[in-house]
Amino acid sequence: MNLQVLESQFWSLCLQGVALGFIYVLISLGYTMVYGVLRLINFANSEVFMIGTFATVVAQVGILQNQTDSQSLHGFRLIYTLAFALVFSMVVCGILGILVELVAYRRLRALGAKPLGFLISAIATSIVLLETTRIVTFSRPQTSPRLLDKWSFGEVAGANFRIDTVMVIISGVIIFFVLDRFVTKTRLGKAIRAVSMSEENSKLMGINLNRVVSLTFFIGGLTTGAAAFFYTTVYETTQFNVGFNLGLAAFTTAVLGGIGNLRGAFYGGMFLGVLEQFASAILGSQWKSVTVFTVLVLVLLLKPNGIFGEAVQQTRT
Amino acid sequence: MNSKIQRSLAVVSAAALVFGVAAATNAQAAVKTYTIAYQGPLSGGEASTGIDEQNAVKYAAKLFMKKNPNIKIKIVSVDDQGDPAVASTVAPGTGSNKSILGVVGPAYSGATIASLPYYKAGGLVMISPSATRVSLTDPASPDFGGPVFHRVVGKDDLQGPALAKYATTGVSSAKVFVFDDQSAYAVPLRGFVEAGLKKVAGATVVGGGDSVPNTTTDFAPTIAKIKTSGATVVIYTGYYSQAAIFIKQLRDSGSTAIFAGGDGVFNQEFPKLAGASAEGSRITGVGGLAGISPKLEADFKKQMGVSSGVYSVESYDAANILLEGIKAGNTTRAKMLKWVKAYKGKSVSGNTIKFDANGDISYGLFAGFTTKNGVLVNTGIIK
Repeated sequence: MNLQVLESQFWSLCLQGVALGFIYVLISLGYTMVYGVLRLINFANSEVFMIGTFATVVAQVGILQNQTDSQSLHGFRLIYTLAFALVFSMVVCGILGILVELVAYRRLRALGAKPLGFLISAIATSIVLLETTRIVTFSRPQTSPRLLDKWSFGEVAGANFRIDTVMVIISGVIIFFVLDRFVTKTRLGKAIRAVSMSEENSKLMGINLNRVVSLTFFIGGLTTGAAAFFYTTVYETTQFNVGFNLGLAAFTTAVLGGIGNLRGAFYGGMFLGVLEQFASAILGSQWKSVTVFTVLVLVLLLKPNGIFGEAVQQTRT
Repeated sequence: MNSKIQRSLAVVSAAALVFGVAAATNAQAAVKTYTIAYQGPLSGGEASTGIDEQNAVKYAAKLFMKKNPNIKIKIVSVDDQGDPAVASTVAPGTGSNKSILGVVGPAYSGATIASLPYYKAGGLVMISPSATRVSLTDPASPDFGGPVFHRVVGKDDLQGPALAKYATTGVSSAKVFVFDDQSAYAVPLRGFVEAGLKKVAGATVVGGGDSVPNTTTDFAPTIAKIKTSGATVVIYTGYYSQAAIFIKQLRDSGSTAIFAGGDGVFNQEFPKLAGASAEGSRITGVGGLAGISPKLEADFKKQMGVSSGVYSVESYDAANILLEGIKAGNTTRAKMLKWVKAYKGKSVSGNTIKFDANGDISYGLFAGFTTKNGVLVNTGIIK
């Protein structure tokens, strides 16, 4: 056990944990939005994330022609490149989200399949995406060019406020805030919430169910795509199997916070990000997963629907 | 048609048929085909290592066939991605394919352990160019590969101290942080590095080290520990794709500690993936063909279209042992195993190759490499 690290690196670990947590939050929205509406888990979301990381690289290298070893960009060119890659990744993942719903969910919904059917079709779609990417990329890691020079705003109490860390946190807050407002204030958001409360009644109210479901997958894809962009910008690498660990962490985030609950996902992500950093630093990285999943089990034992989840009585079976 | 003519036509065509078949059989008899396999990561994050090794095996076969026009060598590519889980799915097929007389490989120790049961069962001889885990040739260990396993590379108990020495060269009172990637290769190597550091004057192991899963991309907690420990040298036992991600994050954190790695990091892809952050890294590896024979290297490039890569000398040597065995008429697995066990010959490096009872060679020299202008440069054998 290394407690010394707490003295000098406490705030640094907190900051890194929060930044990582925001990436988890953005991916977990892809799980939590879909669960909120359909009461089904979108297991293909991890691969939507993986495709997003490659979309980011394609946007930066393939479309905007920045070479892998090119110099960092500055000024307008930098902002334009980052913004383009972000939007490209979000749109690709949004559209992919809609396609996943069309392929893996829509027909099964029309046929009134059991949840197990959806689970298998989502996992199958996920495997198809994973393996196809593996074959196309020859399973090799793909480096993303360092377009953003990683300068620092300065250190506060040992925490290094680097541009990429700050960018992830601020953008994460903005995206989360916009989504929260969208779901609570707009007509479409209200339609999503209505379907989430009762499919039957919302149909009676004239809500087009298929359109709302597609919209939900699209929005989940958008946030997952944003996470993919931030991940690729911070870590500058991706690989066909990148979705597995990140997807698992994001799913854990959603469950910890209370799946189906937007704000729950937010707190779940923060909690998980920081917990992972401290567990790895104090106990050693080999204990990270043990710690995280022990905490998850403990939380679920005390609050079966997650920290901010619905009460058990309200859960539909 | 006259029946006489009909009869003679039939005789003529029958004769032609028989003669034709016989002629074809004679022509086939002139060229015989024998099969060997190469096993290593040909796809996946570690593919670069496997592709380099396989190229050297193909090159050896090419030269051999030129010298022996009546023997055709077929090389079966067995792609284990360097991953024990994948290896255990591809090894049964290789083990039961009786046409394969011997395997060059597997490249990695973990994949070797996973493949061993199938090759032992099939009596299939293996000569690895790069599996360095000590337990593979330790009869007391459950990983022991005898009688089928052999290797033409030095073990980690030689590499560990060499890496410890090279990493700390020129650093007074080195404070060394050591961490591994939890793989079958990296964990024992880390032990040998730490043991080696005890023999380096003034060096101390600090920070308690770390053991990071090989799928990790966020090294912030490890870097926090490195910074807290005040380490001046960081040694990583693991593979190059992860090392590249780590070194970028270490440099971004402002740390200027020397970064060093073992032969898992020894790959020209490492400086390519890590860019400027990799400059000055110290890696242990084995010298390639270019360092041993520029003439052979030039020919390699001409024949294969690419430069030779990592473990090219070892892979070339390993393939030649099997090829010489085929030439000497050892065309069954049992005979080939016997041949390898009794083999005595020269490596292209000039060393004498002779396996001991456990499958090890008597030499094993590790060279130090450092990254300069985006390329790993050989700085000579570590003494």
